Amino acid sequence: MELFSEVYSCYYRVLRHLLCSQNPLTIKEIYNRICQEGFEESLLSIIPKLENGSWDLFRRDGELYLSKLSPSFCTPLTDLEKSYLKALLADPRILLFLDPGQAETLNRLLGTVRPLWRGEQFCYYDRFADGDPYGDETYRRHFRLLLKAQKNRQFVDIDYNSPKGNRVHHYYVPMRLEYSTKNDKFRLLALEQNPHRTNKLETLNIDRIASIRLTEHTLSSSIDINSIIQNSYYKEPLTLRIANKRNALERAMLHFANYEKNTVKIDENTYECRIYYNQSMETELLIEVMSFGPMLTVIGNKRFLDNLKTRLKRQRRLIFQDHTFTSMFRCY
Amino acid sequence: MSDFQELIKNFPNIREYVRDFFVYGFKTRNDFKDKSPRTYDNQRRRLESWLAPYIRKDYVPEGSNLSLAIDSNLLDTNPLFQVWKTKSFTDNDIVLHFLILDLLQNGRALTVEAITDMLLSEYETLFDIQTVRRKCNAYAKEGLLQKQKNGKTVAFSLDNTLTNWLNANENIHDALAFYQMAESFGIIGNALSEQLDIQNQAFRMKHSFFVHTLEDGMLLELLDAMDKELMVRLEIKGSKNEQLNTANCIPLQIFTSTRSGRRFLCAYTCTKRRFTCYRLDAIKKITPLERTEDYGELLAKLSRNRPYLWGVSFQGQERQRLDTLAMTIWALEPTENYIVDRLKREGRGGTVTKIARNTYLYEIQVFDCNEMLPWARTFIGRILSLECTAKSVEKRFYNDLETMYRMYGIDEKASNT
Repeated sequence: MELFSEVYSCYYRVLRHLLCSQNPLTIKEIYNRICQEGFEESLLSIIPKLENGSWDLFRRDGELYLSKLSPSFCTPLTDLEKSYLKALLADPRILLFLDPGQAETLNRLLGTVRPLWRGEQFCYYDRFADGDPYGDETYRRHFRLLLKAQKNRQFVDIDYNSPKGNRVHHYYVPMRLEYSTKNDKFRLLALEQNPHRTNKLETLNIDRIASIRLTEHTLSSSIDINSIIQNSYYKEPLTLRIANKRNALERAMLHFANYEKNTVKIDENTYECRIYYNQSMETELLIEVMSFGPMLTVIGNKRFLDNLKTRLKRQRRLIFQDHTFTSMFRCY
Repeated sequence: MSDFQELIKNFPNIREYVRDFFVYGFKTRNDFKDKSPRTYDNQRRRLESWLAPYIRKDYVPEGSNLSLAIDSNLLDTNPLFQVWKTKSFTDNDIVLHFLILDLLQNGRALTVEAITDMLLSEYETLFDIQTVRRKCNAYAKEGLLQKQKNGKTVAFSLDNTLTNWLNANENIHDALAFYQMAESFGIIGNALSEQLDIQNQAFRMKHSFFVHTLEDGMLLELLDAMDKELMVRLEIKGSKNEQLNTANCIPLQIFTSTRSGRRFLCAYTCTKRRFTCYRLDAIKKITPLERTEDYGELLAKLSRNRPYLWGVSFQGQERQRLDTLAMTIWALEPTENYIVDRLKREGRGGTVTKIARNTYLYEIQVFDCNEMLPWARTFIGRILSLECTAKSVEKRFYNDLETMYRMYGIDEKASNT
C-alpha cells in the first residue's frame, strides 16, 4: 500500500474533474480549471500534454475538448483508503457522525479489510485526562444539532454551564466545531450577535452545554470567520529571543508551529521569533513560554512581559516566604 | 531551468526541505550547504508552486528567507497535504488509469486481452498487452481492481459499491472532514474527501501540528512491521550531530505528544536490551527484518512499564530505576480550584492531596523526572516547593528559576512589591 502514489496526486484530481465535465471544454476553460485546482505551475505541464495528445483522454472537435470518459465515472477506493476507513470505525468519536446502522453498513462493505491502525498501537502520553464523553447520548445529540446548525447557518438557543458555575443563555450561530487533540475536547466557535449588530466570536465547550434548541432564524449575510479571528489578534505580537542551547531552537519552533509566527536569525546562536495571538490564547501561550524556562526570553509585548514578570515575582515571594511552611510537609 | 519538473519521484528528498522551511522559516540558500545550489533552487521552486498561498518571503542581508505562514486557527485543511500529491508519473500511467477504470465502470470482468482490444476500439488508444497487464496487476495490488482467476483465465473488474455508498452518505463526509485534521494519516482522509469532492467547512483544530504529516510514510511502514511482529533496522539522523546511525529494534507502540505533535516509535532495542523511543521525524529509512517470537511478552512488559513513563524516557540522568517528584502548590480556594483540576487532569496519574488550606501536594514516581520540568514550570507563580529524589532535577529547577529572576530583573525586593 503506497501512500506516495500518483493515484492521489493533484494532477489526477484535476484531470478527473476535467474528464467528468458534462460539456465540451474550450482550452480557456481547461486553463481556468487547472489554475483553480492545480499547483501554481501545473498549467505549464498539463496543457502541452493535452494539446499534443500525449494524454489522449479527450476527443477533439475543432477548438473543443470532449471527454472520452462516461459521465458516471468514479474512482474506486484503494486498499489504503479502505483500511483507513476501517480504522476510523473503531474510533469512539465516529458515532458522533454515523448512527449505529450506518457504521454497521460501512463495516459490512469493508468486509475483511484490516484496519490501518488499532487504538492500542498509539499512546498519547500527555493528553489531558478529562476528555469529552463521546459515548454520552446527550453529548452526541448536541454535537449533531450544532453541526446541522453550522451547515445551515442557523441560530441556536443555548443554555450553557459556564466554568464559573453560572448558567448562561444566548442565541448563537455555530461557525465551526473546534477540536483539541491535547484536551480531547470539542469546542464551539459561535457568533453572538449583540443588540448593536456587531459580531463577537465566543468559544463554548460542547460538554458544558445544558440544552440546545434550533431556531427558525438563519444568518442572512456571509461572515468571514478568519477575519474575525485575525482582527482579534493583538497588533503587537509576542516577541521571543531563543538561545540555541539544549536544542531549544528546534523545540520552540516545533512547539509554536501551530501559531502564525515569523523567525529571524540575530546572530550565530540567537534567534528572534514573533508569534501572533489573541486574548483567548494568552494564558495558554504564557504557560507554554514558561515551560521553556530560561531558554526563551520574552522581549515584548509589554502586556505579555508584565504577565510573566507578575508570575515570577509571585513565585519568588512564595518560595522566599513559605520555605519554613512547606518544609513541614516534606516527604523525605 | 528548462528541465524543471513540478512533480517528483521520491518523497524523502523533499521531506527535509519542507521541514526546514516550515519548522524554521529563517534559512536562506547559504544554510543548505550540503545541497547543490541547483538542487536547492529546484526544490524551492517546487515548494513555492505547491504551497503558493502559504508562502512568505522575507528579505534579509544574507538573501531571502522562504517560510510557510501557517496559522492552524485559520485553516480548514493541512496545507502540507499538498506535498503528498506530487508524485510523478508517465503518460501511459495517467491515460491507462482513466481509460481502464472507465472501461470497467459497469462491473463487468474483463481479461487483459479484452481490455487492450477495447482500449483501441472504444477509446482509439493503442497499448501493448504487457503494459496493460502491468497496470491491471498493479491496480489489483493497490485494491483498485479485483483480480479473479478462472482456470487459466485471469479477469479484472471494479466494484464501486463502497464509493457509491460514501457518495450518498453525508454523515461520512462530515467524519472525513474531521478526521483528516484530527487523526494520523490525515492525508488519506483528505484524498478520500477530494475523491468525493467534499471540503471541510465545519471543523477547526486547536492544537494542530501540520508538519508531522511528513512522517506518515514512516508511520505506515512501522505499523505494518508491528502488525507482522517484525524486527526492523532503522536509519536515524541525529538531531544534534546530523550523523546517520542505525538501530535494530522491535517496534511496539507509537508515542504521540499532543502538545508538540511529535511522534516517537517506542521499540525494544535488541543490543541494549531495553526500551527506547525514536523520534519519527529523525527516522530516514526502515528495513523490515525477521519475525520476533516474544512480541507479546515485550508488549506486556511495556504495559507494565508505561505507568512510570512521564514522556518518552525510560531512564533518568542519575540512572536510578525510579525517582519521585513532589511539588507543593498554592491555590486559593475556591476561586482557584481550576489549578487543582489542572494537577489532576495533566498530572498523568500522580496523586493530588490537600495538605492544608489552599495548599496541595502533587506526587508521582517516574523513570525520568527531568522530563517533568517543562510541565512543572507551567505552575510558576504557585510553587511552594519542588523536591525530587533525583537531586540534579531539583537543582536544575531552582537554578533555572534563579536564571529567570535575573533575566527579568526580579530581585527579592521587587518580588515583595
